[in-house]
Amino acid sequence: MTALAVPGASAAGRVGHRRRVRNVAWWGLCGLGLSLVAGAVFWVVGAAIANAVPGWRWSVLTETTTGIGGGLANTIAGTAVLMVGVGIMAGLVGIGTGLYLAELAPPSRVVSLLRSASEVLSGVPSIVFGYAGYVALCVGLHWGFSLLAALIVLSVLVVPYVAKSTEIALNQVPLAYREGGEALGMAPTYQLRTIVMRAAAPGIVTGVLVALAISVGETAPLLYTAGFSNSYPSAHLTGVPVPYLTYATFTFWDQPTTTLHALAFDSAVLLIALVLLLVGAARLIVRLTQRHAPGDHHGLARHRRRAPTLR
Amino acid sequence: MAVDDLSLGFGELTVMRHITVEVPRGSITALVGPSGSGKTTFLRSLNRMNDKVRGFWHQGSVRLDGRDIYGRDVDPLVLRRRVGMVFQRPNPFPMSIEDNVVAGVKAHRMVPRRQLRDVAETHLAQVGLWSAVSDRLHDSPFRLSGGQQQLLCLARALAVEPEVLLLDEPTSSLDPRSTEAVEELVRSVANGLTVIIVTHNLAQARRLSDYTMFFYEGRLVETGPTSQLFEHPSRPETARYLHGETAITSR
Repeated sequence: MTALAVPGASAAGRVGHRRRVRNVAWWGLCGLGLSLVAGAVFWVVGAAIANAVPGWRWSVLTETTTGIGGGLANTIAGTAVLMVGVGIMAGLVGIGTGLYLAELAPPSRVVSLLRSASEVLSGVPSIVFGYAGYVALCVGLHWGFSLLAALIVLSVLVVPYVAKSTEIALNQVPLAYREGGEALGMAPTYQLRTIVMRAAAPGIVTGVLVALAISVGETAPLLYTAGFSNSYPSAHLTGVPVPYLTYATFTFWDQPTTTLHALAFDSAVLLIALVLLLVGAARLIVRLTQRHAPGDHHGLARHRRRAPTLR
Repeated sequence: MAVDDLSLGFGELTVMRHITVEVPRGSITALVGPSGSGKTTFLRSLNRMNDKVRGFWHQGSVRLDGRDIYGRDVDPLVLRRRVGMVFQRPNPFPMSIEDNVVAGVKAHRMVPRRQLRDVAETHLAQVGLWSAVSDRLHDSPFRLSGGQQQLLCLARALAVEPEVLLLDEPTSSLDPRSTEAVEELVRSVANGLTVIIVTHNLAQARRLSDYTMFFYEGRLVETGPTSQLFEHPSRPETARYLHGETAITSR
């Protein structure tokens, strides 16, 4: 309190007060934003679980859909097949595209055109992809509702995410790693494989994860290309429709039986669980690949992450 | 290494003009001069690290064992294995300590896989790190101190058994004790290995090097045995720089 006796101290006190108010206001806004996001998540997840739990039967996981009831086993299998297929197809094409854009492409107008083409692709509504796929693949090539048509359409949909996140991740690899490899006489491809890709792995994995999560949650393009069936997915790439979880969520709710209503909620919960599983897997991969990376070895990052105390 | 009438630059910019100098095998040569005098660019041209920089050009020749390193038949990857480099800031790779040391050895398949550990031990011992890290070879190198990281980078560079080692201000980000460790190491490996070191620290150049080259504004102003250059510089610019004057060119 003696400080107040110093000339000019009250002015300084006012400034300090104003700064504190502004500080609180900003942190308040940030907190509000965060709680809106977190609130929405808890609301959706909570609602799905609250509706699914009362009518839950374990046979949902073992029985196939029948049209009037049954379980969801075939849709779970179908979604898993689609997910793995998209992971392979979109993963390879997307990571390849990102690699090309970040490492190999010469800075030219054609390349920047390619880059923006890939970005535009990510802005196209998914139902448009679905319809285009339906016209070109299911009808044009006589594939009918089929696994291959669904995989291609979903992959086209998510390749831009994988490509962009790969490109960004590669661009963020420190020059020092590259120079270090170069100075040892490493061949560019060897260096890319052993050092650069490893450093970029978390970004790339996150991109693939987002892609998988998107494709798992897509409905519109699949309605057009995968169709639906009450049997398990088959090994046929064309001519046989594929069942999937989002179909159950989207259409069963409109059906007249309570069994189907319950299945709609069950499928929603399963979808959410699947996404959580994907997030967990990505975290694990990131941690495994980054155990030798610079960063939080002294708990410094943890201190930095804590919000400044409002004093 | 022999440099003959070397000029280099980027695009329209000429960074170095008409450098001619010979670096005796097994010696330590210090490159000194004010910031922006072209020391680092010159150093990086000795193992062709500038090649990928946009617009880089050179005239004249740099010869290693009589052969021009910019010759058509020279593979820069092979060259860089013979002419290693350590940078201003320690740059360990994001892999374990052991993998860091043998990264180059692995890349060039110099020894069978099961001998990699021995190679790591040999070179960690060579740089005086073995006792400090022997029980955590599989840990991240980023847990080491800055000085230890730089020693690790030196071990990595030495592991591929280069003939020439280029050091770009290797101690500028280190504390005095780590600096001493690096200097000691440089002195010990110089037997048989040619070392060229860029430094802003004149005392370090004096302590460490057999020869000193003084660069100023893209020219090699003076070169000679270190003691001679420091005690009896023949050019007024050198004398002014050594005396810490900022206005080096006479007016």
